[in-house]
Amino acid sequence: MTTATDTKRRLPFFAFLAALGPGIIAASAGNDAGGISTYSVAGAEFGYRMLWLLPVMTLSLIVVQEMAVRMGAVTGKGFAALIRERYGLRPSLFAMTALLVSNAATSVSEFAGIASAMGLLGVSRYVAVPLAAALVWLLVVRGSYKRVEKIMLAVSSVFVAYVAAAFLAGPDWSQVARGTLVPSMAMQPEFVLIAIAMVGTTIAPWMQFFIQANVVDKGVTTADLPVRRIDVISGTVAAGVIAWCIVLTTGTVLAPAGVKISSATDAAAALAPVGGAHAAWLFAAGLLGASLLAACVLPLTAAYAFCEAFGFERGIDRSWAEAPVFNGIYTFVILFGAAFVLLPGLDLISIMVMSQVVGGVLLPFLLIFMMGIINDRRIMGRYVNGRTFNMIAWTTIVVVISLTVVLLGMTVLGIG
Amino acid sequence: MFYLTQMLGKPVVDAAGEVIGEISDIAIATGEVFPRVTSLAFLGPTKTPFMLSWRKYVAALSEERIELSAERPALRFSYLQPDEVLLARDLLNKQIVDTQGMKVVRVNDLKLSESKNQLRLLGAEVGIRGILRGLHPAAERTAAAITRVFGRELSESLIAWNYMDLLDRDLSHVRLSVTHKRLHELHPADVADVLEQLGPTQRARVFEHLDNAQAAETISELEDELQADLIDDLGDQRASDILEEMDPDDAADIIGDLPYDKAEALLRLMGVKEERAIRSLLGYREKTAGGIMTPEVTTVTETMTVQEVIDYLRTGAAEHESIYYIYVVESGRRLEGVISLRDLVMSDPSTPVAALVEHEVITVGPDDDQELVAETMSKYDLLALPVVDETGKLLGIVTVDDALDVLEEESAEDLAIATGSAHEAGRLASASWLLLRRSWWAVIWAVVLLGAIGGTARYEEWLRKGLEAGQSSDLKIASGLGLLVWAAMLLPIVLRVAEDVSSRAMAELISGSDTDERLSLPRRLARESVLGLAIGAGAAVLAFAFVYVLQLGNIFGAWPFAAATGTAVLLTVLVGSSIAEVALRRSAAGKRVSGTGLAVASMLIGTVAYLGLTFWLGTLLIPGS
Repeated sequence: MTTATDTKRRLPFFAFLAALGPGIIAASAGNDAGGISTYSVAGAEFGYRMLWLLPVMTLSLIVVQEMAVRMGAVTGKGFAALIRERYGLRPSLFAMTALLVSNAATSVSEFAGIASAMGLLGVSRYVAVPLAAALVWLLVVRGSYKRVEKIMLAVSSVFVAYVAAAFLAGPDWSQVARGTLVPSMAMQPEFVLIAIAMVGTTIAPWMQFFIQANVVDKGVTTADLPVRRIDVISGTVAAGVIAWCIVLTTGTVLAPAGVKISSATDAAAALAPVGGAHAAWLFAAGLLGASLLAACVLPLTAAYAFCEAFGFERGIDRSWAEAPVFNGIYTFVILFGAAFVLLPGLDLISIMVMSQVVGGVLLPFLLIFMMGIINDRRIMGRYVNGRTFNMIAWTTIVVVISLTVVLLGMTVLGIG
Repeated sequence: MFYLTQMLGKPVVDAAGEVIGEISDIAIATGEVFPRVTSLAFLGPTKTPFMLSWRKYVAALSEERIELSAERPALRFSYLQPDEVLLARDLLNKQIVDTQGMKVVRVNDLKLSESKNQLRLLGAEVGIRGILRGLHPAAERTAAAITRVFGRELSESLIAWNYMDLLDRDLSHVRLSVTHKRLHELHPADVADVLEQLGPTQRARVFEHLDNAQAAETISELEDELQADLIDDLGDQRASDILEEMDPDDAADIIGDLPYDKAEALLRLMGVKEERAIRSLLGYREKTAGGIMTPEVTTVTETMTVQEVIDYLRTGAAEHESIYYIYVVESGRRLEGVISLRDLVMSDPSTPVAALVEHEVITVGPDDDQELVAETMSKYDLLALPVVDETGKLLGIVTVDDALDVLEEESAEDLAIATGSAHEAGRLASASWLLLRRSWWAVIWAVVLLGAIGGTARYEEWLRKGLEAGQSSDLKIASGLGLLVWAAMLLPIVLRVAEDVSSRAMAELISGSDTDERLSLPRRLARESVLGLAIGAGAAVLAFAFVYVLQLGNIFGAWPFAAATGTAVLLTVLVGSSIAEVALRRSAAGKRVSGTGLAVASMLIGTVAYLGLTFWLGTLLIPGS
């Protein structure tokens, strides 16, 4: 076990940097088009009233991602494989359909993000989206997205600007502290809808498949778990802080002015404290980078998981003849996302938010599968969940399901 | 035949006819080629699990239920033995990998067969059919029926138990036992087939397991495009070693396809003799006698005796590709004649070569087309054909295996040319003819577009007249013309569909006109309708987007236009394939069929249908007076 001892010896010095891996990518790609727009809308609509959700959701995201990493390290299998082996064919079909639907919806939001960003730069979406779809498809097929991953990550880190913006905007810090620490709810459909969207974008279903697949690919074992945990926690906290800053900024800049975000221009205005006249450019660059990165990762995650569950050939080095299902799925996800955004007369911002709602509604079902697997001693051995983890995860599941039910009830009863 | 997914959940009935539970699993004894089912596991009324010995208690098995031979109180339950494996728990849904991790599939179902009162495991179903059956038997039946309409069979992919190797029950990784040891036992041509199915990474991994001689033979059997890729990916030393092992003509083909630097590097790593042989071949053009010949020729002189020749064959010529003919040359390698191995073996060892030699040798020149070479060989039934230059100097021989490759290649090329899909048409004249033949759609489109431009001029006139006089009939015509102009712009869709339908029919005609193998007319039409509907739907969406995105008009006109486009495409596919069917019948009756005629006819019919439909639907947009 040389690797284990290596890791242990290295831990104090480099482990933190070395560990910046899939967790960071998953979390950064999580602050994608859907994320930015949902957080912006949350701040603009409800001021500081939603701030408290972010620390809470960051905590559940840490728990969920740690579970995914642990499952991958212990079993050496992907999440989809475990669902198939633990639950059998029909539940797998259900889970995979849920994943595919939420991925297709998220893919729509990524292309909507690309369309919005290019719109800010004055490029028509009828030009930008087909080009972006072609680019994403090529990056995926050629397997060269790994090479540009870093670039896109760097570009999307522009959103760190929100941290500066949050301070420069000069918020009333006592109000901010209250908003963050004291939970408040508004019994109106918009509030519940945005809350579900925030869950869907923060704890996106595809992220758990992605991070577990990554752990399996790298051959991570249980000995490496401490390092992986650092990765998960650092990535998640970083993403959480940025998300919190976005809500804070838009809550400070847009909410008092009564601006309802109806386009990317409105959302970009929140960056004015930092970017000044160039706020739109800054916002567009970040949105484009984050959306492109997620648009590449999403279809692959869906295709890998689906093929893993049903035993089809998979891998980006496989031709269409060798792996028709694999190639078909990621092509479908890309095409669906791009084609949907090309439909005339769409409101891009609400599309981005609504697609996150789809993810939020479907998330609890996938988490239930996860809970069954992670508490199965036959699969996890001594690495089953502890009581705290179970409590946090089940709370997340129950809360999200009840939010969905509440939203449904409100819609049916016509409240709000 | 029984399937595990269908057995699970079926009732277990005791001798008194009472239901005592439902099947939850089946255990087999490992270690047999087709393992016996040894135990039955079932869930009792309160979901309590029980296990029974199959041999002792199972009386009858049907698709509906399992009948036991004893009554409930008389049953003695058993436990899972160490050598037993539970099918549902340990195998179903699990992943199977082969020992090199090349192919990963999942066990979707397990197939069992009943023989002499014993149930035996045949193997694991890993294909889509097993998935469908597991979801619901009706899903499997529906899919099977649909594929039958298309004249195909929904195939079962079964991995026999004897190829599976259950390594560790708890790790739940079943491994396929086709190891690389078996790979060595396969014929190089079969290995090549396997390699062609793999991705580049896997291909390289398998390749590592072959020694140089096997690698050389396998590469020779690969498709041309893959050969150079594979060599390019190998390390220089290994690549060079493998090429040395190969016949120089095959090696030269591959090196010719490599980038210059790589080719030079590989040549420099070889032995002097091999390098010279390959370099001498590199100068000749592809697809000529020089390009496919090998310089390894067994040559002797007239002064030698039979014994000396045989000795020479055993020592100096052992590696040569072909020794069925021994060529007699004089100094300077001028070809004098030939002796066959047969004559050599049959003659007395002391006979001089001069007495056996046949001076009338059939030869070809290095620049002769490879097709001519192959035809010559097949005409004279030769195993090898010498290639000589204009001075009569022997350059090399073309062996029969290369000639066979040529024949295969050329017949594929001929087929491609006949159906108009050839990418390179050789000479300019045939190229321009091909261009014209393939461009009928452009001609028709040009004519229709010119007509449409004329129509637009008239359109203004009708519109003005209609508006001034309040004549709804004039407005109807104007509205029809408006839609017609859009149709004229999108006409290429219909034309290309028509062309495609007819060229597919021609390809079918040329590749196999066997009437027995062809689909019946209704089945063929069913297949074509599905195809037509799919393409039609796509075309309709495109037409809608065309009008909408380009803002050609209001959405009011976009709907009928999209409908007309879709319908026209469907009609074109159906009519086109009907015409093709008639043509195929004619050709079966021995009459000549013109591919161009076929294409132009379906294009014209498609055009008329499209333009007519849009015009008619356009007139419907304006309500009558």
